[in-house]
Amino acid sequence: MRIKTLTMLCGLSISLMFSPLSFAQEAAVTPFAQLPDWSGLWSMMGGTIFDRSTQTGSGGAIDHGVREHPPYTPEYEKIYMKHLALRDIDRYPDVITNCGVPVGFPRILNLPDAYEFVVRPDIFYIVTENGPNTMRVYTDGRKLPAKEDTWGTYTGVSVGHWEGDTLVWETIGLKGSRDNDSILDRTGLILSDQARITTRMRKVNENTLEARMVIEDPKALTKPWNVTKQFRKSKKPGLFMYDYGCAENQRNPVDSATGKTLILGADGKPVN
Amino acid sequence: MKSIHRVVFAAVAITFASIAIQPVLAHHSGAGFSRETIQLSGTVKEFQFRNPHSWIQVNVPDPSGKTVEWSIEWGSPNQLGREGIRPSSFTPGMSITMKVHPMANGSPVGGFVGAKMSDGKTIGKWDAE
Repeated sequence: MRIKTLTMLCGLSISLMFSPLSFAQEAAVTPFAQLPDWSGLWSMMGGTIFDRSTQTGSGGAIDHGVREHPPYTPEYEKIYMKHLALRDIDRYPDVITNCGVPVGFPRILNLPDAYEFVVRPDIFYIVTENGPNTMRVYTDGRKLPAKEDTWGTYTGVSVGHWEGDTLVWETIGLKGSRDNDSILDRTGLILSDQARITTRMRKVNENTLEARMVIEDPKALTKPWNVTKQFRKSKKPGLFMYDYGCAENQRNPVDSATGKTLILGADGKPVN
Repeated sequence: MKSIHRVVFAAVAITFASIAIQPVLAHHSGAGFSRETIQLSGTVKEFQFRNPHSWIQVNVPDPSGKTVEWSIEWGSPNQLGREGIRPSSFTPGMSITMKVHPMANGSPVGGFVGAKMSDGKTIGKWDAE
């Protein structure tokens, strides 16, 4: 009797192992030994203009007259123009200057300071010192949730898989411009809560990682917007990442009445 | 001898300093800082080696002999730390000459460019501007 029961349990276990559900999960996960080595400390190449390929005007994102040209719908072009006009009178504070919200995606691929890209079979992490910020891309075979099961967050939800040495992931569930606290850079670029981003990330050489994004957003864009960001690996071995307490020594608070970013002098009072 | 050398390099050193300023201003808008470079000589009061930006507090005698405390903003200690800067790089009482981008409105605040110690050692982009 006992042998018969054991035999049945073994048979059940084997049939479960090869059920469609479990097979799909296991087939999608790339073993650790087959994953690329993205270890080390990385930094984004170029300044914090999100899409340098469409930049007009010279300088960085905070410089007057600089803008990018995403294929915005008239409604979002109008919003962007409003942000640019405020930036040009120094009244467009960066949402993260208040030290309270994550930068979200895709801006997490547009930050200064150090990066770590953590590759595991079941998950991929983007860890940024600036912020700090974390993004998770699940590579364990799961599917993206249904739209009604997302509610708009800064980083959204991301599911990916490996195609050889390239990580491909899709991101949905972004809050976009809904609460006016998620931007792509300091020129005031935004997306809507309808954005869907497909990212392909790979090493283009030993010291360079490249992330190619195709941004689709039926509310904000008239056609897909292609943006590429690159990251260079530090050649110095043994460098550390540190914590980054934005509020630790905050001498640049935003004046909520005017939107002006203040500079605090030696006595703690604004000097600008 | 004047211990403050507010040498405005108007003709020779009004530099296009936005590139130099960018790392300093990673956290906030650059509004307010001039693009000109001046030199200040004084005594370090405090080095605030803390995020999001480091600040060097320096007591600088002005031409009338009155001491003015300047606040000089620099980069994130994380980034500076990886480049070899330490909290001990500026210690209280240290005599120092600094190159800074001052506030355009004349306030004693500026963006750090470089510094030269009394022993001739330099830090930052002293030779660049």
